[in-house]
Amino acid sequence: MDILAFLAQGFAVALEPQNLFLAVVGCVIGTLIGALPGLGPVNGVALMIPLSFNFSLPATGALILLVSVYYGCMYGGRISSIVLNIPGDEPAMMTTLDGYPMALQGRGGEALGVSAVASFVGAGVATVGLALFAPLLVQFAIRFGPAEYFALFVLAFATIGGVTGGSLIKSFLAAFLGLLLGSVGIDAVSGVPRYTFGLYELYDGIDFIVALVGLFAISECLIYLEDIRGTSRPTLTLGSAIPGVRSAGRCAPTIARGSLIGFVAGVLPGAGAALGSFLAYMLEKRWVGREGRFGLGDPRGVAAPEAGNNAAAGGALIPMLSLGIPGSGTTAILLALLLSMNITPGPLLFEQQPEMVWGLVAALVIGNFVLLVLNVPLVSLFAKVLQAPGWFLMPMVVMVAFVGVYSLNNSAFDLYMMLGFGVLGYALRKLEIPTVPVVLGLLLGGQMEFNLRRAMSISGGDWSILWSSGISLGIYLFAVTLIVAGLVYSWVVRGRLR
Amino acid sequence: MSDASQEDAGRVPGVIGDRIAGALLLALAVGAWWLSHDLESGFMQPIGPGEYPRLISLPLAALSLLLILKPGFNQRWPGRAALLRQALTLLVLACYAGLVKPLGFLPASLAAVILLIRLFGAAWKSALISGAVLTLALYALFEFVLGMPLPNIPGLDW
Repeated sequence: MDILAFLAQGFAVALEPQNLFLAVVGCVIGTLIGALPGLGPVNGVALMIPLSFNFSLPATGALILLVSVYYGCMYGGRISSIVLNIPGDEPAMMTTLDGYPMALQGRGGEALGVSAVASFVGAGVATVGLALFAPLLVQFAIRFGPAEYFALFVLAFATIGGVTGGSLIKSFLAAFLGLLLGSVGIDAVSGVPRYTFGLYELYDGIDFIVALVGLFAISECLIYLEDIRGTSRPTLTLGSAIPGVRSAGRCAPTIARGSLIGFVAGVLPGAGAALGSFLAYMLEKRWVGREGRFGLGDPRGVAAPEAGNNAAAGGALIPMLSLGIPGSGTTAILLALLLSMNITPGPLLFEQQPEMVWGLVAALVIGNFVLLVLNVPLVSLFAKVLQAPGWFLMPMVVMVAFVGVYSLNNSAFDLYMMLGFGVLGYALRKLEIPTVPVVLGLLLGGQMEFNLRRAMSISGGDWSILWSSGISLGIYLFAVTLIVAGLVYSWVVRGRLR
Repeated sequence: MSDASQEDAGRVPGVIGDRIAGALLLALAVGAWWLSHDLESGFMQPIGPGEYPRLISLPLAALSLLLILKPGFNQRWPGRAALLRQALTLLVLACYAGLVKPLGFLPASLAAVILLIRLFGAAWKSALISGAVLTLALYALFEFVLGMPLPNIPGLDW
């Protein structure tokens, strides 16, 4: 089997001392960031990007570092859900429902243990899935022409709008705003500067790393400033996480179901981890029925969403790596990292740089074991981080963002730009306009336009090339289906939680 | 999803906010459309550089109109005290951005961090101590661990 040979090659890459070190460091940092309330994988990975540039890491190393941070955040998010009843990030929201009641009953340690094992299995399933399915998707995608790629971009935007759960108008508005921002800069085909207003700093377009750090890290701090007093937190005795491992054994079927559901949700473009954990929890609740004590501290209520969101996080890497289409905010940021290193994910990446793809897969396997160790015996250390005062943490986040962005180009212009995007991100969040589509638009706009114009120059200006192939028609059909599914989904969510 | 769970807490009808946002975005779309006509298409390409922005500004304008006509919900907007804190924070950061090169990293950052920690609600004493610690830690991280040269204090080169 080819995959095994590739995987062996990948382990050789991932076990190089530098890459191994980066994976471990990434896992620790990720768990820390994920554990902090309000800072999730999107902000965490966005904050780490300028830093990894400063390391002047090779692309494989940088990708391993950031994906380890990503996986670490998914693990860490549950810690503040369980201990503080504040989800560390959106996908960890479902974990509060049973995790916090368990902590109130003095079973916090057990909850942390169960959820760590569930996260481990979920992430493991997703990594295996990544190794099996990504090459299949690549073989399919290798036949794609510019028109098909254009359709794929449409699909990405259609679905991200459908599943973010808020208003459809606002999601699409955000996407088009991002696309318009993405057209700033010198046009790659004709060399004409667009919307630069004579500012030479804009000739290369809006630097999406600067935009990302502003949209996520700076706006988070502005949100925090609204209420600096914070809420008083009862101190809970957690106890050891080791017994949780045993009760995870009793939850094995739950974890298996949650992982599979989460993985499928993650692979769908635009769905992401929040959908994975939501579906896993809801289906488990229905499956177990009345005998379960969901919402009152049932360990299965912790195991299902955690298996689901970690599996979804891994699944979301599949469309990002094999098609170059990110399915979630965090994978969009990972894509930004790759693009700014002049690496275009997609079928060609698997052909030309297999050592990178498979090194990443192997690093995920290793990182998953590291995370299990960090999150069962050592979890109480991470829970302590939650006691650090916000007046220290938030300025630290701002300063890391500032210095990181400054050191990219040593330019004050970038810093002003970052502040501008911080204000924009804050306003969008207040307006309940999702920020992820803006990022996707900014990021994918260039590629989308490039493929559109290539398709048009192939057809000599005939627009019908865009929907003339069966594949692109199928993709548009899929996009429409997902929008309808998204509408039904948000309708169901509202019905359930009301 | 977060939208559904916070159905009641912290949400307000966005009649004013959404309409202002819609108007701004509409203006942006119209401006982009207008300016795109200055972009000449060249090189015998079927689509010139102005076509794609026009293609985007149309739906952007349509959606902004929809938002103006059918506003949704907003998160609760901050009160006056919070707005002042946010404005001051942005002011500190903007000054810091402008001063980091002329003043050098250490003095500019020290001043910025101390003010930031104050704005985030700490007492002067803890602000001074943790500000100094944070500045030195950042300096060490970037200058020595990551090997990134940060702006030195003018006249002092080491």
